[in-house]
Amino acid sequence: MARSGNTPEEKSKQGVDRRGFITGAAVGAAAGAAALVSVPGSGARNRAVPAGAAASPTPQQVERDAGNATPPAEVRAVRRPGSDLMVEVLKDMGVEYVASNPGSSFEGLQESIANYGNPPNTMPEFITALHEETSVDMAHGYGKAEGRPMAALLHGTIGIQHAAMAIYQTYHDETPALILAGRDVGFIGAHSANDMAGMVRSYTRWDALPTSLEGSLRAIQEGYRQAMTPPRGPTLVVLDLEFQKEEAGDLAVPAYTPPQITGIDRTTAREIAQGLLAANNPRIQVGGLRTPEGVRLAVELAELVGASTSTSATGGSMSFPQGHPLCGPGDDTGYDYTLGLEAGGAQISLRRPNRATMVAERDTIGIGFNGIGGGGGRGRGGGGASLTADAEASLPAIIEEVRRLRTADNERVIEERTVRHATTNREARIQAVTQAVQAARIGWDATPVSTARIYAELWPLIMNEDWCLASPSNFSGGHHARLWVHNKPYSYLGGQGAGGMGYGAGASGGAALAAKHRGRIVINVQTDGDLNYTPGVLWSAAHHKLPMLTIMHNNRAWHQELMFLEYMAGVRGRGTDRAHIGTTLRNPDIDYRKMAEAYGMAGEGPITDPTQLAAAFRRGVNSVKRGEPYMIDVVTQPR
Amino acid sequence: MYSVPGTKTCIVAIAVAALTLAVAAASLDAQGRGGRGGNAQAGANTTPLPPGPVTGSVANGRELYFEHTCYGCHGFNGETGARDLVGTNSPILANETGFIGYLRLRTDEAPLFPSTRMPNYPESALGDDEARDIYAFIRSFRLNAPDVEDIPALQTIIESASRPYEP
Repeated sequence: MARSGNTPEEKSKQGVDRRGFITGAAVGAAAGAAALVSVPGSGARNRAVPAGAAASPTPQQVERDAGNATPPAEVRAVRRPGSDLMVEVLKDMGVEYVASNPGSSFEGLQESIANYGNPPNTMPEFITALHEETSVDMAHGYGKAEGRPMAALLHGTIGIQHAAMAIYQTYHDETPALILAGRDVGFIGAHSANDMAGMVRSYTRWDALPTSLEGSLRAIQEGYRQAMTPPRGPTLVVLDLEFQKEEAGDLAVPAYTPPQITGIDRTTAREIAQGLLAANNPRIQVGGLRTPEGVRLAVELAELVGASTSTSATGGSMSFPQGHPLCGPGDDTGYDYTLGLEAGGAQISLRRPNRATMVAERDTIGIGFNGIGGGGGRGRGGGGASLTADAEASLPAIIEEVRRLRTADNERVIEERTVRHATTNREARIQAVTQAVQAARIGWDATPVSTARIYAELWPLIMNEDWCLASPSNFSGGHHARLWVHNKPYSYLGGQGAGGMGYGAGASGGAALAAKHRGRIVINVQTDGDLNYTPGVLWSAAHHKLPMLTIMHNNRAWHQELMFLEYMAGVRGRGTDRAHIGTTLRNPDIDYRKMAEAYGMAGEGPITDPTQLAAAFRRGVNSVKRGEPYMIDVVTQPR
Repeated sequence: MYSVPGTKTCIVAIAVAALTLAVAAASLDAQGRGGRGGNAQAGANTTPLPPGPVTGSVANGRELYFEHTCYGCHGFNGETGARDLVGTNSPILANETGFIGYLRLRTDEAPLFPSTRMPNYPESALGDDEARDIYAFIRSFRLNAPDVEDIPALQTIIESASRPYEP
């Protein structure tokens, strides 16, 4: 998983006159003031660039920027721009969207997205973000909803640094995202660097600095493959502007081959199948799989063997449907064979390589980007033998073995067990919900509005829709986990990744991109502190008509921190009457409806009377079903 | 506003508080936690202690409850939040003396990691009179929630739990 850029194809393309010209121009601009260095490990042996000094624009570039450069009439030097081929590559891989705010280092690619293809600006469509962090947040949310990447496009060194925190969260969330960054070594020196990906290398899955157009195309494909291959995560491909702009001539777009993700071997699959079929009461524990197909396979296996299952669908995406008849404790909790799929199992667990693998390979200077003193994740733990093997890729072989080994006797027993499980699980679900609503009713009429009421009032309005809760719920009580039924791979997308703020709206925007053409709506219960990092998402949602309903959990604070500060003051015996300093968002109160309005999004509020909630939510749901995002500012209880 | 109690009052308060806390701990354990779980089972596992007299000012208490950010964990009216107050029948709230003693007894808890546990309130930070006012405000809290049967959204949630699964 080292950097790419030194493939034979790329080497064959190096040393062409064009590259020499660009290098020469840069050297000339630096007026010999800087020493020339090669790029270590980049595979660009002949790539001399000035070190230590930012190259000034050439006179031609200044003229161009001033609008004084006039191209010759009716002469088109480049008939088949390299970036058109980059768009072809993205199209071939099914990349639906590229989120970005504009930058000169990728003007070639941006122009190709906008104008190339029939129809243009489709697969991928250029999504205008107002901040690079948002671009990657969108890719993060999309990746969790779809189980595959969309792209974010960043401008040089400055764009990558803006995006860094979101990249870090995507990495911590082990979510596939394809990140492209433009590089223009000849324009504004400060926007370029020898090794731009180095800034985020410790928390990306893979990166590349290709040294030819063909290498660029292959690197984009490899970036997609690497992002999808466990341990999944964000990948970064740096695309030099000259390759975007060069004449591709008759260069063919390389054929894309999807990643080959291997599961367990046939013998192990057979042993698991035998274990499940021989057990009187098999159990399948299901954590977060990779894609909707993995979820489908898990359901197929559970139904084939009549196993009760657990799910992590209330904690994140791609797990077993919560309302499935087999999901629950089952008729008998004395399980005699438990298989863990990305979760712990008493007999055997299948877990794909995770972030720790990435850290071992990428964080080579030991910064500690796996977290210090923490670790773990959804569905970790469990006592049985644990195999580092992708559960989703293993399921077809297990299913095949089960089908081969299943006897008529098995089938009768499984059928009876399935009926018993279904009855018991249904009763357990009703009992759990009955208890949950008793808790949710507390504070029902409270002003400001209780967070439980927000989730409770939403459910009747969305339960017959195809919905996705994209925002993290850890700061708003997590009531959906107890009150809603999570049946889709994307029902709930889980947390921020690394607990960083500024995530909710962007990730919801990405989830809404995934939802847009699929008749799905996205719910974003948006904490106020979080939105103020990246409010520009509201404009992107309005501009692109994203089906995103934003409901403000407006407690006018970074409330978790308020509680921490209260305790700290208490420990020191100084009282809590100044704990609001630096932790609250009052005086003046922020008017989120007006914020939405400023960005062109319809909305209402602030609502403090809980009786107004249902009608407002109905208006909001109807709006997003029409493809118009909507904001409802609800002033809430703290939690 | 501040009232400095005599040493004797302090000792009595601490002794009562210690006893109260022991009862409280047992009670909270029985409820699984003094929060929502307790609410859901209010009256099922606990017997409310006879409420002591209220001598503070509810109006002052309302202001102090906000100023001292008690709402942070207990909600603006005690019904919501990480540690709601209404319906828990917590012995800590049984009388003023026990409540004040509880506020004063948390001095030694200084965890290394951030905590959202109940802060300590020495008298220098919150006087007895202020504490009584806050107590009075807390005692004015009422559980105003309608019954589940009277909340259509919650009824729908219960009904939806038994709907057949549709992929």
